[in-house]
Amino acid sequence: MIGAIGMAVLAGALIGLSRQVNGRLSLARGALGASFWNHLVGTLALGAAALGLALTGAAPDLAGLAQAPAYAWLGGTLGVVFVASGSWLVARIGATATALLVIAGQMVSGALIDTVRHGAEGAPLRALGVLVILSGVALASKR
Amino acid sequence: MSRPVQILAALGTGALLSLMVLCNAEMTRNAGPLLGSLTPHATGTVAAGLALAILARRSASERAPVWAYLGGLSGALTVMLSSLAANTALALSGTLALGLVGQAAFGLAADRWGFLGLPRRKPTTQDLLALMLILGGSAILIFGAPA
Repeated sequence: MIGAIGMAVLAGALIGLSRQVNGRLSLARGALGASFWNHLVGTLALGAAALGLALTGAAPDLAGLAQAPAYAWLGGTLGVVFVASGSWLVARIGATATALLVIAGQMVSGALIDTVRHGAEGAPLRALGVLVILSGVALASKR
Repeated sequence: MSRPVQILAALGTGALLSLMVLCNAEMTRNAGPLLGSLTPHATGTVAAGLALAILARRSASERAPVWAYLGGLSGALTVMLSSLAANTALALSGTLALGLVGQAAFGLAADRWGFLGLPRRKPTTQDLLALMLILGGSAILIFGAPA
């Protein structure tokens, strides 16, 4: 259990680390340039992993790609904007504020998506969570 | 750029993340976790390359250290670690919640010591209160979700 907790916390810290590294690169290459390099290096690393697996006989499911709905292919393009904007923000408002506000935006929009997809079930509790988050955002916005 | 614009940009970035997760989860459901991460990285490389070709004006004059080009490694590793943790007793909700704690802790440390060449910042009491509210509200959403 300690190992699992460590992995989950580390996964979160790695999100921050990658944003910090990309933020540093954006100072020299621009936010879009940082996003390009982030995706290129990720592609090479994951491509090497896929190749390694294919050589050991555990080939990835290429046929599954054809079954994915068209909108699923938009994830990469959304990711480009996500990484570029994160790199831009971290160099301007800092790592803590960027992390917290992005989390807030993700959580509130996630609650909206859940309400659209699953209806009123659990809605009062979701509304409370959103309210608490938005009060935090309001506090973070006051200077 | 003024602070309200930056705040709205950050909130919008989070909303973008929700949509991105939706797309990538659908890809993973169809093609497995490795292709579910490789595909958006590859299409993203093409999209960013095209956007750069159209939009880039300045030639890079300032040099960045080599490690600054390696942010993508950490991103690729994140996907793996979180899928591993989500398959333990923590489940997805516990993994998500602890991931938020990891992000906040890294952010505080990175600002305090100015990690990796970005400026140092001291958190105010107000910042810490905002942190607790945003993480607390997130915990309500994560653990209050109907099963």
